[in-house]
Amino acid sequence: MRLKFDEQLETLNVELIKMGALCEEAISMALKSLSESDPSLIEKVFTTDGEIDRKEREIEALCMRLLLQQQPVARDLRQISSALKMISDMERIGDQASDIAEISTYLMGTDVEKQTKIEKMAAEAIKMVTESIDSYVKHDIELARKVIEYDDVVDNYFIEIKREIVELIAKGETNGEDSIDLLMIAKYLERIGDHATNIAEWVEYSITGVHKDEGDQEKRD
Amino acid sequence: MRKKIFKGMLLISLITLLVSAVVITVVQYSIFSKDMEKELKAEAEFIGAGVEAMGQEYLESLELTSDRRVTWINSDGSVIFDTAADTEAMEDHADREEFIEALEKGEGHAERKSETLSRRTVYYAKLLDDGTVIRVSNIRGTPQMAMLNTVVPVVAVLVGVLILSIVLSSAISDRITRPINLIDLNSPSLDRGYEELEPLVGKINRQNKMIESQIEDMSRQRQEFMTITENMVEGFLVIDNKMELLTYNRAALSLLGASEPGKNVSVLTLNRKEEFISAVEEALDGCHTIKNMENSGICCQIIANPVYNSDKLSGAVIVIMDVTEKERLDSMRREFTSNVSHELRTPLTSIFGMSELIMSGTVPEKDVLDFAKSIHDETGRMIQLVNDILRLSQLDENKNNYQTEQVDLNALGRVVAERLKLTAGDRGIDISVTGEPVEVNGVYTILEELVYNLCDNAIKYNIDGGKVVIDTGVKDGQPYVSVEDTGIGIPKEHLSRVFERFYRVDKSHSKKIGGTGLGLSIVKHAAAFHGAKVSVQSTVGKGTKMTVTF
Repeated sequence: MRLKFDEQLETLNVELIKMGALCEEAISMALKSLSESDPSLIEKVFTTDGEIDRKEREIEALCMRLLLQQQPVARDLRQISSALKMISDMERIGDQASDIAEISTYLMGTDVEKQTKIEKMAAEAIKMVTESIDSYVKHDIELARKVIEYDDVVDNYFIEIKREIVELIAKGETNGEDSIDLLMIAKYLERIGDHATNIAEWVEYSITGVHKDEGDQEKRD
Repeated sequence: MRKKIFKGMLLISLITLLVSAVVITVVQYSIFSKDMEKELKAEAEFIGAGVEAMGQEYLESLELTSDRRVTWINSDGSVIFDTAADTEAMEDHADREEFIEALEKGEGHAERKSETLSRRTVYYAKLLDDGTVIRVSNIRGTPQMAMLNTVVPVVAVLVGVLILSIVLSSAISDRITRPINLIDLNSPSLDRGYEELEPLVGKINRQNKMIESQIEDMSRQRQEFMTITENMVEGFLVIDNKMELLTYNRAALSLLGASEPGKNVSVLTLNRKEEFISAVEEALDGCHTIKNMENSGICCQIIANPVYNSDKLSGAVIVIMDVTEKERLDSMRREFTSNVSHELRTPLTSIFGMSELIMSGTVPEKDVLDFAKSIHDETGRMIQLVNDILRLSQLDENKNNYQTEQVDLNALGRVVAERLKLTAGDRGIDISVTGEPVEVNGVYTILEELVYNLCDNAIKYNIDGGKVVIDTGVKDGQPYVSVEDTGIGIPKEHLSRVFERFYRVDKSHSKKIGGTGLGLSIVKHAAAFHGAKVSVQSTVGKGTKMTVTF
């Protein structure tokens, strides 16, 4: 019985890694489509997003089965509950990747993205997602904490890009539509950073048993 | 063992105890019965004498213990007097065994369950002189009763025995088992043990040795395996059918860009690129899979093979090869081929066009010569190109059929300068040779080509009225030849690529300047042929200095 449980936990682990890999792929393809304007890439992002949604349902079903049939406790329970939370964050990352891909179709033919730091920001967001999933894969709490702290970098990029866009509009170097689209992409990237942070927080929770918010609460109390 | 010894001892004690209790009781009982019979006889004789002398009065005066009874029976069997029961109520005693025996033999005895007193009674009867019979009886317990009486002592002894056997058996079993416990199972010897254990100990010894040698074998095999896999340049992974990582080598980790994995982890913790995951999954579905994957600048080929154990899929073996270099060479070759075709097509097209015009006869007589010159020039370019390509492929193949000799680089420089003087002079470029004579071991023609190409470039990319200086000498113990010009220079971002075949910094003006785009490529290969290095120092607008150090 326990052996079966361990096996199922391992399956959960593997499925989570696969879903994480899909997320990384979706987001990096979405951002590639931004700079390369390749319609087939955008199509691929949408299919990957569909796969991510399917994976989410699969993993959710697996978690539910584990909870009902095995009634796990302590660490196992934490692992499963944090998996449940993580998949919704991953799913959101997938959605945002396809949103970015969609917007990038409007931006095709312009090079407004070249005039801002959006590509650097994208690289940082991808790095955060990769590292948050890495921290889960390797059970690396240090890496998870690094990701949580790194969120500020992406947030600052958002502020910076906003300023750049404002300047571009002021100088009349870009039209309103493009700049709004670009700002949306920046916002999505910022959200992706937040979701990566969430994932890292759940990784931390599944290892230590203390969620960051709880910890803060205790510190405040 | 102790339990068994204890049980055995207890059982033996119990059996012994019970048997001896029974035997003793039986023996005692029979001795006791005989004694009692004698006593009864003596008593009967004594009482008989008393009755003969004093009659019933004597009997009445007798004081008897409760288990004694004396009966005086008439010769006809009627009871005259009885000490225990009422005479009147007593039945006739004529049929009593002892009475009949006494009448016949003078004395008789019997033993029976008394009807009147319903106990086991021993009777002794004696015939008196007057024909009457005096009978004395004594009640006594049955053998069972006697046994019952011994129960208490027996139980007491039993408890004693029990305690004793606990103590003794524990001591004895300790003594018995100690030598067995003392046997060191790792290297058993029979110094203090039982010789009955000899076969066992021998067997353990042999098996110990066998296990030792097997472990040694296994660790040696493992060591061999590790050595082999660790020294493999290819990454090597073995996984089970649940994707759990069983074996890996360092090369695999570095090719997949993974850190040292923990125990019992999924192989996907090493890498989760789409290609890798699908290769693993396909192998575990039973398909031989080859996939290419790019991982942080390294191009890997993943070969995944399913492993079957008696028809059941038990895992997969994954080999990862670094094909970066191969991929790079492949793309270089493709690029080269397309470049060559392009370079060949350009002159061919113009030759084709011009010859067509001449053939159609539409070209005025005086222009035919110009056309012929153009065709000649273009053909010359093609010949030059084909020659360059041939030279490059010769250098590429690095054949050893060249004669090496001592070549003076300074003298070589002068020869080249002389050859190019005319070309340089056309554009007012001054070409000079400085430095000291220095000899290197090499192939004269190749070295000449090297210097020629360098100077040719120096003139081509020079400004009119510029300067070209060929310098030779020894620097840091190494011979060198350098060609410096005052030309247009090479922008920094192009520096690393100018040695590539067909690479042009300024593609739009290549036609005007001429050349095949292979010059520096030939220089690089010629230098490599001699084990020399080419370095470039260049400032845009000021000039370029190419140095070949041997």
